[in-house]
Amino acid sequence: MSVRATELPKAYHQAVERWRDTYLPDFALLLEKWDRFFPRDRPFKLCAYRECGSCAKIECGEKKGQEKYVRVGEMGSDQAAHLLGAVRAQASTEFGSIQQHQLTLSRAQDEQDQFWILRMMAEELRHGYQMLHLLLEDDWSAATRRSGADMVEEILSMRTGSHVLGTFNIDFDSFVDNIVFCALVDRVGKYQLSMQKVSAYRPMAESMPEMLREEAFHLAAGVLPLRRWAEQAAQDSVYVTMPLMQKVINKWLPRALEMFGHELGGATNLRYGFKPMVNAEAQEAYYREVGKVLDDLNLRFIRSRLKDLKHGEAIALRRRVVEEGESVRGIAPEHLLRQPHRHFFRRRGEPAFSMVGFAGEAFEDPELYLRHILEHLPETYAAGRDFKGYATLLRQVQGGEIDASEAARKTPNLSRVGGVCPCSKAVRWVAGGPTDDGATFSTTP
Amino acid sequence: MPEDLDIHPLDELAVDGIAALDEKISGTYSPEVWERRTMYYIRRDPEGSFVAESDGKIVGFMLGEVRSGEFGLERPTGWIEVLGVDPDYRQQAVGRRLAEAMLERFRELGVERVCTLVSESREGLTRFFAALGFKASDLRSLTLELPAKEAS
Ligand SMILES: CC(C)(COP(=O)(O)OP(=O)(O)OC[C@H]1O[C@@H](n2cnc3c(N)ncnc32)[C@H](O)[C@@H]1OP(=O)(O)O)[C@@H](O)C(=O)NCCC(=O)NCCS
Ligand SMILES: [Fe+2]
Ligand SMILES: [Fe+2]
Repeated sequence: MSVRATELPKAYHQAVERWRDTYLPDFALLLEKWDRFFPRDRPFKLCAYRECGSCAKIECGEKKGQEKYVRVGEMGSDQAAHLLGAVRAQASTEFGSIQQHQLTLSRAQDEQDQFWILRMMAEELRHGYQMLHLLLEDDWSAATRRSGADMVEEILSMRTGSHVLGTFNIDFDSFVDNIVFCALVDRVGKYQLSMQKVSAYRPMAESMPEMLREEAFHLAAGVLPLRRWAEQAAQDSVYVTMPLMQKVINKWLPRALEMFGHELGGATNLRYGFKPMVNAEAQEAYYREVGKVLDDLNLRFIRSRLKDLKHGEAIALRRRVVEEGESVRGIAPEHLLRQPHRHFFRRRGEPAFSMVGFAGEAFEDPELYLRHILEHLPETYAAGRDFKGYATLLRQVQGGEIDASEAARKTPNLSRVGGVCPCSKAVRWVAGGPTDDGATFSTTP
Repeated sequence: MPEDLDIHPLDELAVDGIAALDEKISGTYSPEVWERRTMYYIRRDPEGSFVAESDGKIVGFMLGEVRSGEFGLERPTGWIEVLGVDPDYRQQAVGRRLAEAMLERFRELGVERVCTLVSESREGLTRFFAALGFKASDLRSLTLELPAKEAS
């Protein structure tokens, strides 16, 4: 097994560096302090890593057992277009999350937490770079008429509000968002990458192992600070309380579940050999794993509050409080974290706009439902445009003006005013690339 | 061997299970220590350290890494550094299965030699490694006691 590191052609490499200087201005600081926070870890390098020697045969779908595709041109146009859609969406999430994290990065109370997030952002940049590498290494004309330069340009030009997936169009309100996002949304990333590790397109499969290794750190960069906050909350710390953590979890979990795609979808990916599971199956495994995260944090809280308890006793107490709703030794259900129902506050997929409450209860009146979900969300989020957009669509769906699937397609619908850098809107990231012909990024040949 | 034994790479959700296992073996619960320690291995190579799960709980773990250039060993050498198996699950091949996973990973990384350090007083551990095929080598552990300076 060997890992090959490559750089993009110079113009593209420089385009990503320019993008980095705009949206990840603390990158130099990360390098400067790398040895202090990550002694003995391999230094960061902006490059694409491909792990050679992975499985050469298609591992799932209708062509299972045949040789994997080494070039896009070996696929049919529909299959190629499907793959291109996935690469583009993946690239958009990588760059998009950096833009989100940057908003509140400076608000961390703890320097180590902050540098872990900063490292994670640099690695997301590398993930985006990896996807651009896939776009530029191959000839995608079976999938699109657009040039590599145009595709890269379009991806680098996306902003919070114009990304492919809704999750990446929501602003962060505090550093708690940075942390919860890593614990929940990067966990979806882990599932997507693990599935793509078997991709019938070999360059994609070879790109995944190194990304997955980095992703393991991202999940820890979320869960470990949450554990510490739970521990401090048990000591009645005033900083990050359990109710605040709960509300931020409620903000992101519905979006994270939607990243798996429609609950009834995924068959095409499976058939083409791009992913080994359909959407609902992966989403279900993910939802269970999030349950484990919450169990872990609750246990941390309990053991920090009641130091005389042993592991097994703490687990038994957690069960009584969370599942039976009892109050035991001063720990009440509201002190611990609970997992929102998987249909709570959904706007895409099967339960889109269906008004299911936090605990799975059904609502009839949209105004009552909005008030219910507001009680479970951070106030700062409710005051933002993402929530307003949701409320407007919900009222339209419930008033019979549009149907739920139409509303689902309408989100995200944010256009951006203002931004990180006043010049970043007009700039072309890829120097010397062909001028934009105004065509939309079409995935049909 | 427990029927549902599952050996998988170390991850951030294993911290508490490992801390609980250590508590069972050593009598002290030190979650912060295990957070730091597991993070170290997750950062080095998240696929290179393993935990064993049965019945929804962690019943064993083995942490290690590949080093090269240290102790005059130029070739990449695999090191098994921390391990433990739940006393209720010992002698059921949990340790062996963990070691097999680890050795396989070392092999993937081009390692041809694996080392560990065991105190002679720990007979069980010594026998365990012997059963896996480990032999005494020309590497000697040297120790210097370093008493704190007396305050003047
Ligand atoms: C050593 C230890 C890891 C063994 O785990 P285990 O799951 O019981 O070991 P296994 O059942 O997989 O045994 C594998 C082999 O080792 C042998 N073995 C294990 N423990 C043994 C013992 N105490 N005495 C003799 N042989 C032993 C087994 O007989 C078996 O041999 P076989 O496969 O040829 O039959 C476990 O006893 C342990 O956790 N000890 C404490 C570790 C510790 O102190 N850690 C802290 C320092 S890092
Ligand atoms: Fe990523
Ligand atoms: Fe990530």
